[in-house]
Amino acid sequence: MSECTNCFSNRTCASADKPLEAFIRSLPMETSHHRTEGQSTKCGFGLQGVCCRLCANGPCRITPKAPRGICGADADTIVARNFLRAVAAGSGCYIHIVENTAKNLRDTALAKGKIRSEAALYRLAEELGIEGNDVYDLAVKVADQVLADLYKPEYVQMELIEKLAYSPRLEAWKKLGILPGGSKSEVFAGVVKCSTNLNSDPMDMLVDCLKLGISTGVYGLMLTNLLNDILLGEPEIRFAPVGLNVIDPDYINIMITGHQHSMFTYIQDRLLDEDVVEKAKAAGAKGFKLVGCTCVGQDLQLRGAHYTEIFDGHAGNNYTSEAILATGGIDGVLSEFNCTLPGIEPICDELMIKQICIDDVAKKKNAELIPFNFDTRKEDGDRIIDELIESYKNRRGKVKMNLLPEHGNKNTLTGVSEISLKKFLGDSWKPLIDLIVSGKIKGVAGVVGCSSVAYGHDTLTVALTKELIAKDIIVLSAGCSSGGIENCGLMTPEAAELAGPGLKEVCKTLGIPPVLNFGPCLAIGRLEMVATELAKEIGIDIPQLPLVLSAAQWLEEQALADGCFGLALGLPLHLGVPPFITGSKLVTKVLTEDMKELTGGQVIVDADAKSAADKLEAIILEKRSALNI
Amino acid sequence: MAKYIIIGVGPAGIMAAERIRAMESNAEITMISADEHVHSRCMLHKYLGHERDVKGINFVPEDFFERNQIRWVKGEKVTRVNPEEKTVEMECQAVLPYDKLLIATGAAFFIPPIEHFREASNVYGFRDFSDAEAMDRAVEGKKRVFIVGSGLVGLDAASALCERGYEVSIAEMAPRVMPLQTDEYAASVYQKAFENAGCKFYLGIGVTGSKVNENGEINSILLSDGTEVPCDVVLVAAGVRPKVDFLEGSGIKIGRGIEVNEYLETSIPDIYAAGDVNGLSGVWPDAMDQGKTAAMNMCGVKVEYEKPYPFKNTSNFFGITMLSIGKIDPVDEDAEVKVVFDRGTYKKAIVKEDRLQAILIQGDISNTGIYLKLIKDQIPLKGKDVFKLSFADFYGIDERTGAFSYQV
Amino acid sequence: MKRIFIDAEKCDGCMSCTLACMNAHRKDAEGESIYTLDLTDPENQSRNFIKKNPKGGYIPLFCRHCDDPDCANACMSGALKKDLTTGLVKYDKEKCAGCYMCVMNCRYGIPQPDASLHYMVKCDFCEGKDGPSCVKACPKEAIYVKEV
Repeated sequence: MSECTNCFSNRTCASADKPLEAFIRSLPMETSHHRTEGQSTKCGFGLQGVCCRLCANGPCRITPKAPRGICGADADTIVARNFLRAVAAGSGCYIHIVENTAKNLRDTALAKGKIRSEAALYRLAEELGIEGNDVYDLAVKVADQVLADLYKPEYVQMELIEKLAYSPRLEAWKKLGILPGGSKSEVFAGVVKCSTNLNSDPMDMLVDCLKLGISTGVYGLMLTNLLNDILLGEPEIRFAPVGLNVIDPDYINIMITGHQHSMFTYIQDRLLDEDVVEKAKAAGAKGFKLVGCTCVGQDLQLRGAHYTEIFDGHAGNNYTSEAILATGGIDGVLSEFNCTLPGIEPICDELMIKQICIDDVAKKKNAELIPFNFDTRKEDGDRIIDELIESYKNRRGKVKMNLLPEHGNKNTLTGVSEISLKKFLGDSWKPLIDLIVSGKIKGVAGVVGCSSVAYGHDTLTVALTKELIAKDIIVLSAGCSSGGIENCGLMTPEAAELAGPGLKEVCKTLGIPPVLNFGPCLAIGRLEMVATELAKEIGIDIPQLPLVLSAAQWLEEQALADGCFGLALGLPLHLGVPPFITGSKLVTKVLTEDMKELTGGQVIVDADAKSAADKLEAIILEKRSALNI
Repeated sequence: MAKYIIIGVGPAGIMAAERIRAMESNAEITMISADEHVHSRCMLHKYLGHERDVKGINFVPEDFFERNQIRWVKGEKVTRVNPEEKTVEMECQAVLPYDKLLIATGAAFFIPPIEHFREASNVYGFRDFSDAEAMDRAVEGKKRVFIVGSGLVGLDAASALCERGYEVSIAEMAPRVMPLQTDEYAASVYQKAFENAGCKFYLGIGVTGSKVNENGEINSILLSDGTEVPCDVVLVAAGVRPKVDFLEGSGIKIGRGIEVNEYLETSIPDIYAAGDVNGLSGVWPDAMDQGKTAAMNMCGVKVEYEKPYPFKNTSNFFGITMLSIGKIDPVDEDAEVKVVFDRGTYKKAIVKEDRLQAILIQGDISNTGIYLKLIKDQIPLKGKDVFKLSFADFYGIDERTGAFSYQV
Repeated sequence: MKRIFIDAEKCDGCMSCTLACMNAHRKDAEGESIYTLDLTDPENQSRNFIKKNPKGGYIPLFCRHCDDPDCANACMSGALKKDLTTGLVKYDKEKCAGCYMCVMNCRYGIPQPDASLHYMVKCDFCEGKDGPSCVKACPKEAIYVKEV
């Protein structure tokens, strides 16, 4: 390749987002999309989950002539251990998020700081049966109870779950003995279990996965949303721009990555203060803008109605982050969690973009660590702002802009939540239920989770979504999946044209797209709340709903913990690639078949959009007929 | 155009013909065989066991003769070789001239001089397709077969007959089955497998006589321990003799077989002998190799025949595979005997002065080809565990051709 | 003819070639997803082997399709034949009698009995598959195809 001046492959993976694909291919720098080529040879043992590195005897790999590791662990044990390890780690991530969120709510309340939605606080307090003297006292009490649950030992069952979980589910979980103890302790127990020469019982370990799933779902997902709603304001349905077009080079642009929105509140507000804006102007900019990326961007977009001034819009998901930076329009990256790819580091270096990390769990190599500390938030915030201004001054003029102003769209419907959707429907779920009963909407699919690039960026997610809506199945999305889907235009009202006749009619009547944007992956918890509300309204249990989940392009351990929540809820869960389990016939069978008898859930693995959609439709039709609709 | 005659269509003859054709596209090649069918004698038991028909035991493609432009005179015995005139005579009186002649007639079964054995009408050998065919006809409607000899041939036939439900009795002079290839343990494993299939063994026992009925058929066998075993058909698998009777008076020197020099040429120029008929080795790969070597020499390319290593065999009975190379039992006094049981596989090696002398593997014989090379060439083992050796321990590769070679 | 060349120094022992071989010859023909390859089924055999190099590192052993093949030279059923046009040592399963003379005779120890003990298995160069699967799977280019 004589024309290639850089030492990276100029072949990139496909993206569902064709303009993005072309943009990335033309970049003079390497991205994850380029690296898929060099990593295309996958280790088969790893893919099947039968490589064990738990001790110095390893790595041991399972083959017909070596059906056990040196210690004697067979494929079932090795797979279950690896799987539990991933689920425990994934759960730990979400529990870290809810812990910080609760702490931030508590600190804010103690400091009598800004509570953006008192309504959300009262709603949650009521549900949890918590009373307080005033709004701050109440907020502290709510936060304290959440934290108290998180810190319980493994052998003490968490309390709020009894109030948050849907009662038929709660009963089912109790019967199965999978109600979790303290969330952090569950992670601890899970990690211990799958360590060297401890647990070898695949079933026992899978039970732990379900416990971790429930604790992740109810606390890490649902509660994080509800606490954030109090602190940050509730989602409101509106139209907003998405894609690389949101970057306005006239401003000092800060790309935010992570999952812990409450860590940004102070700085977010401060950036609009007159003295700060003046500083920006003195540096030659019109002011500051936050550019959304990854889930924290999705969350900001979700609540964008409250942040119109500072938030420019959501630019893209995890594997769009490198492209966002490559536009040259970003002056700093403020990160606190995943998905902050290590791959952004050389790009930031090259384009002189300042990296600042505010949570050491996600410390990036090149980033300056200024850990978020509520007590010193003012000084830290000003320091961060100064550093960003410095970066702006330092790089502008030196770095070439490579903007893509025509990318994305301006009218993506955002701000959908369990509350805003119900409100939109006229403060009742009945219209939606009626549409489902009438068959205009055949069923509901939650297309959630991440994006990955090894087999194409958002390709399966978007293709599957198109297949589903064409079958009159309404799609609700949460996570990086929504970042991909929205950039491809499927969350604009015009996308109604791609829906089947029934759903199209509904969309056109209501002026909504066939895919509803719930925002970050945390909002998978919101989908669960919608499911609960619908089930409650109809008077059935969740597994009976014509509702399916797909984490088509699941990427991380967190997604596996989410997935376990889906299984515990009794929902069919589609995955594009198997979660490193197929080396064990037992684990595969339990997850794909036997789970139906246990919780009602099941894993469906299918890398093909069309056949996956067919399978999910078949399940929906089966559930419909069981409900006599 | 040189005229080549090859007598015999076994592995030596076939390989020779193929090689001559490859070297001389114009040569006139004639093959003469008493056999009507080209067949692999190692698969006769598959015919007897009704697993395959005669086509199924053919080891060359059906169009072998046409494709190689070989004239094949089948079902015809050669009665005489006249070196002076350079001709061969056939039973039909025809006389064919040759420039080069290859004798690859193989060997025939041998019936020991036991009472009635040589004249009774129900005593069979198991060497050629005609033997298998005759045996197959003979057992029709019968129940009991007595086999003399438990070498590979005897056990091949026994396994086929067991599968067909015959009552098979086997007498063996040695105290164990397959005495040339086994030791006591390996033999016991095979013996049990055969007994489970319905065979009865008389080991360490000789056949001393027999009784015949009014039709001249043997109806019972008398053993050296005084036992009398009733039977309907007798199969003798007690050794072979080179087929050289037609060479009487030809002047070709014959010892244990036809005597040949390092070029596989007989005592008479332009006459070569390959395969079992020269007595150098009795195993298939060596016969093929000899056929090839003889052919090259006949075509004028001097190639010395590498001394064969005839003590080698593999067997596969009732799903138990075995590889045996060298003299396993008895063992030289100063040799070291190593034995391991490795996940159901029995392995025994005889090592002397860091060189492998013999090996027996019963069970998983995957990737064991290196042992023949190590024994044949007496390659030093470098003190390594003989059972863990693989070609990686001797790995050499030609960077230009990619061919492997032994680095010793 | 084409031959799989080996640069043993590059081999990391990852066994991607082994799995690729197993997958290319797997008994169940439901696609070729590596995810569904049964790694505990003895019938899914690899035709290539990674051995430890006594001097350190690994030595991947692949059938040479020899110019004068020991295996075919020992075959008493006619199942193994050197194909003079492609240079490959071809195997006709229909003919094979499972005698395993080939296993004994290959000085490099490449052929092996199949799991059923009725047939043998060895490299077929993934005929009809656009080049050997093992070579395609090697992340290090420790094996590659070259014309000789």
